[in-house]
Amino acid sequence: MRMKYVLSEVLVGLWRNVTMTIAMIITMAVSLFMLGGAGLLYQKVGDMKDLYYENVEVSIFLKTDATPQQRDDLDAKLKNDPLVKEVTYVNKDEAYKRFQEMYQDAPDLVNAVKADQLPESFRIKLVDPEQYKNIYDQYKGTEGIDEIVDQSRLLDKVFGVLTGIQTFALAIAVFMAAAALLLVANTIQVAAYSKRREVAVMKLVGASNWFIQAPFVLEAVVAGLIGSILALAFMAIGKSVASDGSLSALEGLITPISWSDIFLMFPIMAGVGALFSAITGWVTLRFYLRV
Amino acid sequence: MTKTYPKASRPSLDNVSVSIEKGEFVFFIGPSGSGKSTIIKMLLHEVSPNKGRVVVNGKDVTTMRSWKRPHFRRSIGCVFQDFRLLPNRTAYENVAFALEVIGKTKAVARRVVPEVLELVGLGGKEHRYPHELSGGEQQRVAVARAFVNRPLILLADEPTGNLDPDTSIEIMRLLDRINRTGTTVVMVTHDSNIVNQMRRRVIEIESGRIVRDQARGVYG
Repeated sequence: MRMKYVLSEVLVGLWRNVTMTIAMIITMAVSLFMLGGAGLLYQKVGDMKDLYYENVEVSIFLKTDATPQQRDDLDAKLKNDPLVKEVTYVNKDEAYKRFQEMYQDAPDLVNAVKADQLPESFRIKLVDPEQYKNIYDQYKGTEGIDEIVDQSRLLDKVFGVLTGIQTFALAIAVFMAAAALLLVANTIQVAAYSKRREVAVMKLVGASNWFIQAPFVLEAVVAGLIGSILALAFMAIGKSVASDGSLSALEGLITPISWSDIFLMFPIMAGVGALFSAITGWVTLRFYLRV
Repeated sequence: MTKTYPKASRPSLDNVSVSIEKGEFVFFIGPSGSGKSTIIKMLLHEVSPNKGRVVVNGKDVTTMRSWKRPHFRRSIGCVFQDFRLLPNRTAYENVAFALEVIGKTKAVARRVVPEVLELVGLGGKEHRYPHELSGGEQQRVAVARAFVNRPLILLADEPTGNLDPDTSIEIMRLLDRINRTGTTVVMVTHDSNIVNQMRRRVIEIESGRIVRDQARGVYG
């Protein structure tokens, strides 16, 4: 009977102040969504770093007028270099093929470029990808070299952007969480005020503290849980839009986010939502009800 | 014991020492601000004295941890001038609420509540709401709520303050009947008429000191 009483009080409490409840749930959902998104991104960036840095290459592009002599010298030098793990030579035809593949969506561009306009290049895998700077210093003055491109620097930029997005999402999550928790505190104060007579009688006749507090705290917890379910829905919608819609171009860049990734985020979001709501509710009651 | 509220220039209770035996009926009388209500609050463990001890039912309330307070209060019934009933619950529900929130089942409430409502003379009015009852009847509900748990002590803070003289007498008869069941009754009042009729122990307080403690006293 006591459980039934507490649960019905929770429902009545949420319903009595339904506009506030909705505001509370929405802010909580957005906050948890941002938190979940940041969590996913963190996971993905970790995965991607492993994947990409494994395959990262340094490309040395030759000038289009470089002589075969210069090319062979460079080839020999690279093959004997202790920093280099693997060297692949890409001639003009192969470069053109790669170019065609890369820009297959832009036939105009492909048609405009002739095979002999593309530079020959060496693709180099380093023993240690961090050693790029040494390679660059060593070869930059060599005759016939046009440009040395380090993919890891591009990757660093990409990861920089992703980390930026992640930090941004976390910042929003924190701000929204602050708003959500203030709303929780406010909702509980309103609820406690509207039930002040009951609470006074309960204190008077010796109802235990947990019994007085439980409906209020559970109200906040239920709101937190609904918020996390909503956040999960946001993420599911986000995934559908990202993989089917306008963001599908990103799919090749970011390792795909699977449904299990999203569902694994749910316990974290629900846990954080419920726990923080409960703590806020409890602290509010300590001050407000003095029980 | 002594109780000084913060910011007060003089103690609300100054070196007061009282002993009330089990089963007694005691009036605390005195002008407003004399410290009568502070005594009730101390017996309820709502405030603690700065000096001295408060012992209720053999338990030292002064050193009692606050988490033990709920259980302690179950042995004390309380009635106030303003009844403190829940307006959206019937007489029956008001009394049953007090039982249910301390963990008694609905079955217990169904057995005990009609009995106690009958005892306070509200048989047949169980399902009236407070606004459908007269002041005296509302106070009876409050007494029923205070008594339903069979407390060892019944505290009454000006229970007749809002009632006319005839109704007041009826309420006093009710408290007297409860006292005869062995329940200690401690009542704070201004009502000289009642004190004079009852002829029970009277403790008069003035400016935080006991000025009189008389076995079968009158209002003075």
